[in-house]
Amino acid sequence: MTRTVPISLNVNGRPRTVDVAPNHTLLEVLREDLDLTGTKECCLVGECGACTVIVDGRSVDSCLMLAIEADGADVLTVEGLAADGRLSPLQAAFLDKGGVQCGFCIPGQIMSAHALLAENPHPSRAEVEEGIAGNLCRCGCYEQIFEAILATAEGVER
Amino acid sequence: MSRDRIGTSPNRVGGIGRVTGSQQYVADIKLPDALEVKLVTLDVARARILSIDSTAALAVPGVHAVLTAADLPQPVPRFGPQFIDRPVLADGETKYHGEPVAAVAAESKDAAEEAARLVKVAYEELTPIVTIADALAPGADLVQDPSIRPNDPLAGTNVLREHRFGWGDVDATPADVVVEGDYTFPMVTHFAIETHAYIAAPDGDGISVWSTIQHPNWLQRILAGVLGMPLAKVRVYAPDPGGGFGGKQHAKYEPLVAFLALRTGRPCRLVLTLEETFKAVRRTTTQVHVRTGVMSDGSLAFVEVDADYNIGAYADIADRVVAKGSYPAAGPYRIPAVRILSRSILTHTTPATAFRGFGNPQVNWAVESNLDAAARAIGMDRLEIRLKNVARTGDTLNPVDTRCDGEWDQSVRKAAEMIGWGSPLPPGRGRGIALGIKSGPTTGLSYSTVRLLSDGSVIVLAGTSDMGQGARTVFAQIAATELGVPLERIAVVMGDTSIVPYDQQTSASRSTVLMGNAVLSACRDVQAKLRAMAARVHGIHEASITAEGGVVRLPDRELSVLEVLKPGLGRMGGEVIGNGMARKDAEPDHPLSGSAAFFEFNCTAVEAEVDEETGDITIVKHVTVSDVGKALNPLQVRMQDEGAAIQGLGHTLMEHYIYDDRGRIRNLGAIDYRIPTSMDLPLHMESAIVENADGPGPYGAKGMSEGALLCVASAVGAAVRDATGADLRDLPLTPEVVWRALRERDRKNAEVTAR
Amino acid sequence: MYAFAYERPATLAEALALLEAHGPDARLLAGGTDLIIRLRDGSARPAVVIDVKRIPELCGGIREEDGRLVIGASTVMTDIAADARVRRRFTALAEAASVVGSVQIRNRATLAGNICNASPAADTATPLLVYDATVVAAGPGGLRRIPIDDFFVRSGVTTLAPGEIVTAVELPFPDGPIGAAHTRRTRRRGHDLASVTLSCAVDATGRTRIAYGSVGPRPVLVVDESGILADPVAPAEAKAAVLETVFAGASPSPRSMRASPEYRLAMLRVLGARAIATALDRMARG
Repeated sequence: MTRTVPISLNVNGRPRTVDVAPNHTLLEVLREDLDLTGTKECCLVGECGACTVIVDGRSVDSCLMLAIEADGADVLTVEGLAADGRLSPLQAAFLDKGGVQCGFCIPGQIMSAHALLAENPHPSRAEVEEGIAGNLCRCGCYEQIFEAILATAEGVER
Repeated sequence: MSRDRIGTSPNRVGGIGRVTGSQQYVADIKLPDALEVKLVTLDVARARILSIDSTAALAVPGVHAVLTAADLPQPVPRFGPQFIDRPVLADGETKYHGEPVAAVAAESKDAAEEAARLVKVAYEELTPIVTIADALAPGADLVQDPSIRPNDPLAGTNVLREHRFGWGDVDATPADVVVEGDYTFPMVTHFAIETHAYIAAPDGDGISVWSTIQHPNWLQRILAGVLGMPLAKVRVYAPDPGGGFGGKQHAKYEPLVAFLALRTGRPCRLVLTLEETFKAVRRTTTQVHVRTGVMSDGSLAFVEVDADYNIGAYADIADRVVAKGSYPAAGPYRIPAVRILSRSILTHTTPATAFRGFGNPQVNWAVESNLDAAARAIGMDRLEIRLKNVARTGDTLNPVDTRCDGEWDQSVRKAAEMIGWGSPLPPGRGRGIALGIKSGPTTGLSYSTVRLLSDGSVIVLAGTSDMGQGARTVFAQIAATELGVPLERIAVVMGDTSIVPYDQQTSASRSTVLMGNAVLSACRDVQAKLRAMAARVHGIHEASITAEGGVVRLPDRELSVLEVLKPGLGRMGGEVIGNGMARKDAEPDHPLSGSAAFFEFNCTAVEAEVDEETGDITIVKHVTVSDVGKALNPLQVRMQDEGAAIQGLGHTLMEHYIYDDRGRIRNLGAIDYRIPTSMDLPLHMESAIVENADGPGPYGAKGMSEGALLCVASAVGAAVRDATGADLRDLPLTPEVVWRALRERDRKNAEVTAR
Repeated sequence: MYAFAYERPATLAEALALLEAHGPDARLLAGGTDLIIRLRDGSARPAVVIDVKRIPELCGGIREEDGRLVIGASTVMTDIAADARVRRRFTALAEAASVVGSVQIRNRATLAGNICNASPAADTATPLLVYDATVVAAGPGGLRRIPIDDFFVRSGVTTLAPGEIVTAVELPFPDGPIGAAHTRRTRRRGHDLASVTLSCAVDATGRTRIAYGSVGPRPVLVVDESGILADPVAPAEAKAAVLETVFAGASPSPRSMRASPEYRLAMLRVLGARAIATALDRMARG
């Protein structure tokens, strides 16, 4: 068996210490060791974005990051967005605008959108298109996802 | 309340779980003590298996079993929805790239993967049959063992079945102009973002199986057959799939995982990688030859279609795709004579299955493109020829089938208006318009139970799979409308064959119509029981009471449901249970064993710009108009139509499997199999609907969600042809394909000039 | 994924010692956007993965030094694409960095990783060639500066010696005004591996540097000193003749499934003409 190494990281505002195998990705550790299954697995080559999480303020494909690389990092997953049982404005907008069909890509879409709005609170439509281009939606719900992100940005004070 | 009813667009039922990440898909379910499964595959398409040595694999710590065909009951169990042809594990020979030859169950994924690599398979690679031409070549090896279909005269060939449809006499029907052409449709895959996943766990003297399946009841039947268990002992859980699109209709590796669970006595979980999913499912690919006979006034004289579908190594549901997809090939037109010959052809490639559109987009591309060629040949506008021939309500299409059941010309006119048909365009741009038709379900059976609980809240049991189309929301809206209950007080339970009554399948855009009607009739059953309850409580005659929309009307007053329930149920509580059913029986003499419950009709119009130097297509505007009867949830209708349109742009512009000469898929996975991203959309996308409440579903609804995919390629191809004059026959229209067509156009033009 | 050991050296010296100790059994991990894919599919099977992201010498970000812009090896594409100096003075590099993968990939992928993979399709290779960049490598013998044109050998192979680590990439600030552009061909508009990459830079003397990739085992740099390509009044035939010479070094593989050699060669010419036009336009606008 592979030797495991303890790492400490902050996940959704909560300090966690977990023993990880060096060959396990952040995605595997989130899903299998920390039971945070909101982050999804699909392509495992950084193309689909279903596994998008935010590490130290930036969106990353957690399938392409070893968990051990996240030692000391701040990690935000979809489970960390709703506070006190209330949906975040983005989550609510995804529901209101119909940005969700099967839902499998949605955690990744929302995390990419979250990172986009954190950096650029009032993106243009083109910036939104580019901002989530790394998140495939096979249901083809892109128009509604754009609407949800733009509506969220509208709600943010300029 | 009013926002919850039919015709409004409340938030998706089940949406909160989807935006918070708490929705549990199959791969998110962790059973205590579960083993992880890894498939053992060969990097070849076709091989004779000489021996399998599991010694090293079994020595990996944590490995519990390496299952090979020899470990299964003999002969190796086979299954399939149409033919009993697919073995649980490759039986002596692999027939497609990625067919599993063994499977490992271990304590961890790492151990299972390591052990799978250590299973030593000795094999002899054989020359695979990859293309239709290979399969039809004289003396070609047989893909399928002829004993699978005894007494079938075609069993000695690679043609699984031939289908002949039509009416009138094509040969005797005169036409002023006949135009013909050959068209191909690429091999594409569903690429649901959720890969296929399965869990099986021994459950007393039975078994429980979790699957990303669209048809849990059909899977239950398959498992019961393969395992020799009664249906009652096979419990299938089908959590909402993360996208299905047809790819998850039928059993794939569930029987294999079930055998592993029974062998190890532990829950076993197999989550396929995307690459493994690519190897498991795809759409049928086609070569179509079309002849269109047209009179000089534009009326269609005849259409003849020869469609060969490459269906892969095992039939799955693909032969039904071939039949049902080619049957309406002539389109939504009044045509005196039609002759269709379609063939399902076996090859050593990924077994094809259902995929949104079910065989229709493949022939639509050919037939609609050829209709444009016919219009050009007689100098008629492409919109005009369609309006001239498109069937009107009540017109006969196929004499033995359902007549035209919509005001289809309304959709065509609407799409034409929205795209600005006939208005001037800048150079380099063109427009295309195409019509699509698909037969709805030909048979169907759905049961629903609606439970009105003592506090007035409601549980709807419906065996549909909500894979994104929004069935859960629509059923809740029907219950809300009928019983006057807000959505927050309605739970829709799906995906558990031990609890939820039987549903035949989630396919053919049937659920709103068939299950919708079942839910509606279950609600009406509840209403009837409320009337009986009110009659009993108030000592009046039932016939003098009505119940609808949550209001129970007595001769002298109106009561709410709760006002009836409280005294009616009394102190012991209880509930009111309503049962409903919707059934469409088979018709034995019908060529498809059943006429269409409804037709899905769509008109797509596109304005495109082409970069003459690179071959790049920019879709400036994409308009899709569907005849939906009645939109029960307008936002979900829009999402389905626009989503289908974008999915259609995939096979139109970029998607295709690339095989090597050994029958292996070269572009497995997300790096070299391209699907549309958020940056690959039309610059403007507009969807619209036609509603005449003329469907057989609740409140006049028709099935929808496949229609907007049917003729995307045809409309885009027509717009590119209009913009450039290039002749396009083969999808996808990648920049390079368009660039080659442009060079070919230039070459031909130069030839003409030289003459 | 195969099992391997993981090391995270805190200093360059420690990293060099680890490399020396493990030799070919070690692989350096920077952004990981290529390496982790290869670890998973088994095409790379190192015994030790050495994570270089926390080595201070590699983490210097983007800084100006002695008339050069120095980009630390760990700098990610997002930061390169957003850097005002890169955008203004090394526009083609900013453009290339902004089309490497998706946002998520650009948040991880490093410039050094991109060039050390030596993929013929690497987007940042061609702008580095036209900007005459230098790769700074640390090795057991100390620092070494490798002109970028001497760096690439073929896919996956560079002239980096065993035991060496790239610490930075240096870009000399151009003497005078230049105009530059980066272009590429892909199968869709969303992120994709390029079937042709091409960068060009023109300066006030009319000298045109063109670099192209994905059409041979390594990216190719050609400098046109004739001034014809940058001459707005030169006849089209004359420009075409020069471009034929420029692209003589292209030899696309017929085995690729992304595009045929015929199409790649044709697109090289289209992209070349377009990139030169953009570069000239940019120079004119200053």
